Amino acid sequence: MDTHPHYDDVDFGTPERVSDTAVTLQIDGFAVTVPQGTSVMRAAVQAGTQIPKLCATDSLEPFGSCRLCLVEIEGRRGFPASCTTPAEAGMVVRTQSPRLAQLRRGVMELYISDHPLDCLTCPTNGDCELQDMAGAVGLREVRYGYEGLNHLKDQADLSNPYFAYDPSKCIVCNRCVRACEETQGTFALTISGRGFASRVSPGESEPFMGSECVSCGACVNACPTATLMEKSVIDAGLPDHSVITTCAYCGVGCGFKAEMKGNEVVRMTPWKDGKANEGHACVKGRFAWGYTTHKDRILKPMIRSKITDPWQEVSWETAIAHAASEFRRLQEKYGTDAVGGITSSRCTNEETYLVQKLVRAAFHNNNVDTCARVCHSPTGYGLGQTYGTSAGTQTFKSVEHSDVILVIGANPTDAHPVFGSRMKKRLREGARLIVVDPRKIELVQSAHVQADFHLQLRPGTNVAMISALAHVVVTEGLVNERFVEERCDAESFRVWRDFVARPDNSPEAMEPVTGVPAALVRQAARLYATGGNAAIYYGLGVTEHAQGSTMVIGIANLAMATGNIGREGVGVNPLRGQNNVQGSCDMGSFPHEYPGYRHVSDDATRLLFEKDWGLSLRKEPGLRIPNMFEAALDGSFMGLYCQGEDIVQSDPNTQHVTAALEAMECIVVQDLFLNETAKYAHVFLPGSSFLEKDGTFTNAERRISRVRKVMAPKPGLADWEVTVALSNALGYPMHYEDPSEIMDEIARLTPTFSGVSYTRLDQLGSVQWPCNAQNPEGTPLMHIDRFVRGKGRFMPTQYVPTDEKITPRFPLLLTTGRILSQYNVGAQTRRTENVRFHEEDRLDLHPHDAEDRGIQDGDWVGITSRAGETVLRARVSDRMQPGVVYTTFHFPESGANVITTDNSDWATNCPEYKVTAVQVVKVMHTSEWQDAYQRFNANQLRLLQEKV
Amino acid sequence: MNHDSTARAQHLIKMANDIGAFFEAMPDQHQAARDVAAHIRKFWEPRMQRSFLEYLQSHGDTALKPVVREAARTLNA
Amino acid sequence: MNAMTTRETQAVDAALTRFRGEEGALLPVLHAVQDTLGYIPKQATPALAHAFNLSRAEIHGVITYYHHFRQTAPAQHRLALCQAEACQARGSRALTATAEAATGCRLGEHSDDNRWSLEPVYCLGLCASGPALELDGKLHARLTPERLEALIRHKELS
Repeated sequence: MDTHPHYDDVDFGTPERVSDTAVTLQIDGFAVTVPQGTSVMRAAVQAGTQIPKLCATDSLEPFGSCRLCLVEIEGRRGFPASCTTPAEAGMVVRTQSPRLAQLRRGVMELYISDHPLDCLTCPTNGDCELQDMAGAVGLREVRYGYEGLNHLKDQADLSNPYFAYDPSKCIVCNRCVRACEETQGTFALTISGRGFASRVSPGESEPFMGSECVSCGACVNACPTATLMEKSVIDAGLPDHSVITTCAYCGVGCGFKAEMKGNEVVRMTPWKDGKANEGHACVKGRFAWGYTTHKDRILKPMIRSKITDPWQEVSWETAIAHAASEFRRLQEKYGTDAVGGITSSRCTNEETYLVQKLVRAAFHNNNVDTCARVCHSPTGYGLGQTYGTSAGTQTFKSVEHSDVILVIGANPTDAHPVFGSRMKKRLREGARLIVVDPRKIELVQSAHVQADFHLQLRPGTNVAMISALAHVVVTEGLVNERFVEERCDAESFRVWRDFVARPDNSPEAMEPVTGVPAALVRQAARLYATGGNAAIYYGLGVTEHAQGSTMVIGIANLAMATGNIGREGVGVNPLRGQNNVQGSCDMGSFPHEYPGYRHVSDDATRLLFEKDWGLSLRKEPGLRIPNMFEAALDGSFMGLYCQGEDIVQSDPNTQHVTAALEAMECIVVQDLFLNETAKYAHVFLPGSSFLEKDGTFTNAERRISRVRKVMAPKPGLADWEVTVALSNALGYPMHYEDPSEIMDEIARLTPTFSGVSYTRLDQLGSVQWPCNAQNPEGTPLMHIDRFVRGKGRFMPTQYVPTDEKITPRFPLLLTTGRILSQYNVGAQTRRTENVRFHEEDRLDLHPHDAEDRGIQDGDWVGITSRAGETVLRARVSDRMQPGVVYTTFHFPESGANVITTDNSDWATNCPEYKVTAVQVVKVMHTSEWQDAYQRFNANQLRLLQEKV
Repeated sequence: MNHDSTARAQHLIKMANDIGAFFEAMPDQHQAARDVAAHIRKFWEPRMQRSFLEYLQSHGDTALKPVVREAARTLNA
Repeated sequence: MNAMTTRETQAVDAALTRFRGEEGALLPVLHAVQDTLGYIPKQATPALAHAFNLSRAEIHGVITYYHHFRQTAPAQHRLALCQAEACQARGSRALTATAEAATGCRLGEHSDDNRWSLEPVYCLGLCASGPALELDGKLHARLTPERLEALIRHKELS
């Protein structure tokens, strides 16, 4: 572990300031030059002097309350606080003098007179700023005694599963309150009372769990004492070393410090220098890592010949040899194309790359797909067609320069919480906000956030909306003609302009379709086109539709027409669902593309890979995930290598998926747990968690970050080693000593990655692709002077209603989504204390729809679609619009995907999760599917227990 | 073809028409047909292309949008 | 959480309507609600938070910061006794003892039947004529224990 680069975290006391003007001042005799606006405190740190402080930390705006950071400034009276005093040219500052020492000691005396003297048994002993400051100011006595009024008997609040709040240790520095406001943007904390009665108060002086707290941990990070403290540290003691790595949850890709004691993680803290998160985190990344050591993890390979047989524990050699011989047998019996592989966006770039290589080289076909198929494949297609590359255009930091933010079909405060916080910060600074979403999500209205426009459209009408917005831009003269002329393909623009200008695309014509008043649409379009830097952020509410790709194209068109591409503060930004969706797509785990988005039929590219891999490769596209299921049911696809992906729970129309899996003869699942797919598997290869692997993840802003091993792989072999072993057993030998060599191969074969190596990543911390000879430090912003494809291409976006139409039999539209505390199929988060925040999936419905059906909050309701039926408990919510119902899909027994249908995006087959026509009725018992699932599941768990 | 595989072939017809529904918004319908054909060649695995064409051979192409019909003819070639 | 009574809801709605759209309206709204009801119902906090686009915590922080605001119904009679230096020098401690004995509640508390509350205040601006107090909104100065007893008896009888 000594090879890991060392990143130190100095606390500069106050945030960095950016200015064109620099000022030079003297601090304790040393000259230091800083940008104008920088505090004296920060300047001092830069000059090498730490001024004592308690209420200041560089993630928060200065507050000036603790009175420890007082300094003397020549020519000024008194003792100004260095945190709130801006540095000025020519200033002469003294940070130490007998008078200052006396003042600071006096302040510390007061603090300590109301603080327990239990340092030796305190969990932060050795990592406490109060303790440090007592030392720094030379506190030797407390003249006030400890007998008077104090807070020492205040009771601790242990309601949050991950951290404790002990008010007896609180010095009321306000750092936690400010962190909740400035960093997280939830405003769940306040100081209640005044004077001696001041207390940090979650909500209305209630336990943390009942308050508005979202458990992001920012307050715990900010606390200088043991008042807010991770329970894991209280239990285990302070860490002795740490390793910088990358979170394995959502596509924000936060940098984390895994703080270790021996080879056990004591806590995960957000990495201050991580560019995706800048020191912030959410409840998942920061706290929900307990699944990595959960008892449900399977650590030994297992095989069985039928899924009704008990599992048999075997050695790695036996399992690999068995899997390989099965794949070979199936290929001999049913043909070369009868087997394939599925990669996972949870796995590293290196692992994903190896699986696609195994499929292309060892299986000798192109039947490899990734779970991005079911989330962001339309992004790849749509942005590829219009801009020439399949990725978001900006950095996350770019949002700090946005004047107008258009959020479409995304719920960042739940699904991308750390970016959501960065966006909210910009909104508090005055950026305008347009939300296009069927639901009233948190961004529409919450503390200190109020959308200027909420275009609350009906599910399935995105394309009608985007064409209507474009209609306004084109017909009201809001096109950025200069940008279009210089940067875009003229003929395609003319065709598009004529198309969107048609009266049938006007907001008025589309009003009956979308259900959104035309006047609102017109105002929102004007704001987007004329409000300054306008940025679009979108999520699966755009892609997971029958017209997902059309909508991505529509978004790209709108941004081009208004010139909102190619600089800070603008752009088109897909918010990726999983940690490595971008990476798994980049790595060529698509049936039609090699790494770097190059089609398999492209001779030059294929030749490159053939030469490097030493064999001939196929030039026809392979099967996409839904096509694999169809082929399985047709009897021509019989074997699957599925790495880290739970297709049974996550893919639509569950009964169709399980029928396909039952039709296959060999399913090999590589995972941490016996997930829903593994219950249909014949070979189980135990996988490693992100804490056990070396590799890289690529986040939604194309940022490649290192994942570093903090403990040995629990199953003995790392995931990449398993793929190598399988390939070797299949007769296609792979030779790698270390994942870094896999990245070297990727760099060698992929022009956009040619500058990437582990050494480079260690130097830079992280890098955004393209990273090559032209851009050795990476590419934060794309399409600055020209689009990747040359000229930007407009394409008409004809609205086509989905087949999921409401009828008297299915009068409601179901849409689905994620919640903050749980993550996708929940395999990880369900095995943590996060279940205390969300213990079941519920069906949200509007009070009118509930009343019509005699449904009350908490009632069991049956949800029936053309595909199937399931039963959930109802939650009556005015976040919904009448006619639309909503559920999350984090629990397998919920069967959310039993209801979703086979409909999919026309271009990519991305499933239409977001629109299903359903009926909802009050019921007394679970659905037939759920009963069958319970029996099947109990049986599979028994077969696991009875393993031999 | 048994009942299930006919249903699956019909699914391909629907997929092809969905592709057609996007490209038919282009002013030049011949170009649109070429784009449909290119899309199918680029993204459909040979088995899918084969079942699609076989179905058209045995059931005719009346279920197809005109632009897809034109595209299918070039796939045939 | 218990819902507000109709009277409480009306008071909160009326206050919100009256100051709608005005900048910095939270304090005026809180005053208006308390003026109408005598207190600001705890259950009003979510509605106030929603109306001002603030969090519940923030509303709570403001209400608890000001001693003037209260979240429960006030006692029938409110006696605020000055405890500051000047009044202490002129006998406010004895006066406080008298008040406690006569009302049956301790300083800072209210009586079990909620007829009386005794509140400490620090200066009523009557230092030259202390000891001073405020009884049901009316100031009284140069008090003696006897005069205070008479005042309390008078209120008891009214």
